Amino acid sequence: MITFQNVSKYYDYQAVLKGINFSINRGEMAFLTGPSGAGKSTLLKLIYLLEWPDEGDVTIGDFHIPELRPSKISDVRRIIGVVFQDFKLINNLSVYDNIALTLRIRGWKERDIKSKVSDSLKKVNLRHLSDSFPEKLSGGEQQRIAIARAIVGEPLVILADEPTGNLDPNTALDIIKLFKDINIQGTTVLIATHNKELFKHSGRRVFKLDGGNLIGEEVG
Amino acid sequence: MLPYIIKSSIKSLYKEKWINLLSIFTVTTSLLIITLVAFVLYNVKIASDQLPERFSIIAYLKDNLSQEDEQRIINTLKSRNEIEGVRLVSKEDALKNLKETMKEASYILEGLDENPLSESIEIRIKKNFVSSSSVKSISEDLKKISGIEDVYYAEKVAEAIYTLKASLQNMSIIIFAAISAGVIFVIYSTVKILFYRRKEEIEIIKLLGATKGFIRMPFLIEGGIIGFLGGVLAIVGILLFYFAVTYRLSIVIPVLKALAFPVEILFFLPAIGIVLGILGSVIALGRLRL
Repeated sequence: MITFQNVSKYYDYQAVLKGINFSINRGEMAFLTGPSGAGKSTLLKLIYLLEWPDEGDVTIGDFHIPELRPSKISDVRRIIGVVFQDFKLINNLSVYDNIALTLRIRGWKERDIKSKVSDSLKKVNLRHLSDSFPEKLSGGEQQRIAIARAIVGEPLVILADEPTGNLDPNTALDIIKLFKDINIQGTTVLIATHNKELFKHSGRRVFKLDGGNLIGEEVG
Repeated sequence: MLPYIIKSSIKSLYKEKWINLLSIFTVTTSLLIITLVAFVLYNVKIASDQLPERFSIIAYLKDNLSQEDEQRIINTLKSRNEIEGVRLVSKEDALKNLKETMKEASYILEGLDENPLSESIEIRIKKNFVSSSSVKSISEDLKKISGIEDVYYAEKVAEAIYTLKASLQNMSIIIFAAISAGVIFVIYSTVKILFYRRKEEIEIIKLLGATKGFIRMPFLIEGGIIGFLGGVLAIVGILLFYFAVTYRLSIVIPVLKALAFPVEILFFLPAIGIVLGILGSVIALGRLRL
């Protein structure tokens, strides 16, 4: 589903990722770990195309990124759902509209959007907050809304960048459970985190990054 | 998708109402100026178009000409290609006309022992010969005909109207271009500000898979709406101006009542506003990295 071949990325002539090779299979759930500045976020950015590789090949689904035309960027992003540490919800839109936005962008009809958003909110157990605004919600609730937004378009891949970074340990474990549930439905999930507790005994592959190098792979 | 985009554009216009109102009023003022220029140009055009129909040269005849001489002069005039028609105005008719023109002040003429006015011939020139240079040349030729004392035509008025029309036409093109550029710049700046205020939201929308079209469309609609509302307000402004001129000012200056108003332009103002608005937005978005 996701393949990196000798991928390097430089900022101001300084390598933040060096010759990365790895692949994640369709329907797999994996973790990416390492200390701050290891290159986890940059690696995810190369998948959701906020950054482009300076060297090497990246393949996401059927898209070969180095050959991708700019007009196709949105097509790649539509097969990916991203969950951020700071949630990135739009504060002047209601919970419903935040989630619905993903589908409106894809040109869905309002009637279909309504039922799809409702299903998505049900999956994260927050149907009752449909009319609320993000700023009024707790961190855990906001992250669940962000997950609902990420899954509503039925993406092939879910990327999560430190999704539990702003949450207490119990809420963090709930969020990871939610990702597992999503993965059971067949969605590929890649979570970047420095919190080892999240993947301990998970039985999932864990990729270790340090100083821009992929230093190893183990099963958590 | 489009209903949502329109809805979000209107929402955004309301959210940033002060900056948008400022833009709308600027567009209104600009379109008002364009309309006023068109209004003046339209009336000058009417005046200059009517000029050939009303334009005539008066040839004053020498005193005591015989009927044969008068007929000879009339025949000579009629034979000229540029002349549409001639009419002999007797001394009595001239005095009668003068009295009618003077109205209440005609008593001044009561004490006259004899009619001091000359016989004259009113010469109507064919429309296509009514121009400053050809009228001058005809008038010079007429002076050479024996029996004609003097020739008069409203040289200054004709010249002034033609000059005014030509310079106003040139000026209006410059004014229209300058003001259109101004409107485009105002909307360009407004859209840029609106864009930067929503930058964070746009970044999120991009990550959700929005196309450039989806991101641009609300701004194009916003630019169009600003232009449209500016055009509608300009209509209100110009109607107020017109009624003020024809109903209020015309009491003091009666000639203003004769002013014509190009009603068609009212339909164009919102359309001009929309076109300039969208153009401003396109330029603003074209320079932004989406």
